[in-house]
Amino acid sequence: MIRKEAIKIVAEKISDNPIIAANGYLSRDLYEVHDKPSNFYMIGSMGLASSIGLGLALKNKKKIFYIFDGDGNLLMNLGSLITIGVHKPKNLIHIVFDNGSHESTGGQPTESKNIQLDGVAKSAKIKTFKVQTKSELIKKLEKIRGITGPILILVKISKSKKTSKRVNIEPTKIKTRFMESLHN
Amino acid sequence: MKPNIQKRIFDYLIKNNIQNFVGVPDSTLKYFIEQGLKKNKILISTREEEAIGIAVGMTLSESPSLVFMQNAGFANSISTITSLVQLYEIPLIFLIGWRGYLKNDAPEHEKIGKVQPKLMEILALDSKIITEKNWKASCNWALKKAQNKKPCALIVKRDFVD
Repeated sequence: MIRKEAIKIVAEKISDNPIIAANGYLSRDLYEVHDKPSNFYMIGSMGLASSIGLGLALKNKKKIFYIFDGDGNLLMNLGSLITIGVHKPKNLIHIVFDNGSHESTGGQPTESKNIQLDGVAKSAKIKTFKVQTKSELIKKLEKIRGITGPILILVKISKSKKTSKRVNIEPTKIKTRFMESLHN
Repeated sequence: MKPNIQKRIFDYLIKNNIQNFVGVPDSTLKYFIEQGLKKNKILISTREEEAIGIAVGMTLSESPSLVFMQNAGFANSISTITSLVQLYEIPLIFLIGWRGYLKNDAPEHEKIGKVQPKLMEILALDSKIITEKNWKASCNWALKKAQNKKPCALIVKRDFVD
């Protein structure tokens, strides 16, 4: 499964729930396969999707927030797992698409294959799952409906040369339509 | 800055609807943070950029937020400020303890402390030095900025050496 396929599966499965999408190809894929006002596309500030998601989840307890993160992104802000684990937002689901590389910058390797990112999340007291195939991913998304957060799903994906178009919305517009979507 | 003024600043900001105080501790801001901890209103993060991320999430939820840090941590956060806070126009209030303001402060603060005012200017992030005399007017200025959806910074000089 490549990132774009995995993103499509999750985005369609979770319908209207808000998503904070990390910068780079993650945001671009999501924009292309399932654009909606409740997607917060990050353009810069690599690593911070998980933190923005935490802030949102703590303040909007009635909504479930999904973070779309990458392995390179998460490695830049591993401390966020500790803060999430300590504050325990029940309504936060962290999906990490792990291809073992910094694909947006040319496919350079990350060290995610040499460590257990799911193990790090578990030791931060986050309910953690790992999936490798499309059917496992679909099943897991259904299973977690009955579980309170914080939850992290590590989705192993393969590298791909397919790239999506840039997010063609002004950052301030991304913000205002996202904020309006929180009222619904 | 005296402990009681720092506490009054905290109380004043919370009374004026700043709902979240997220950051990394700094000795210059010790009594401000202490007051917040006492009132269970402080969230301490692992790094300054993380604090900004969390506060951005809270602000997107229309819950006004302040981020506190030392100027060294502010320097850590420059890219986050330009590519998140300023790019998306998120009205955060920064409260920054200024190490290296005194010439005889610890050596690691010397260089970055010296360029602190210029750094704010280059980033075009509006800021004011908050003092024991002007604290209320400075807070009002920052609160107004936040209401007008603009980020800004209040800077506390480290006026002692330990």
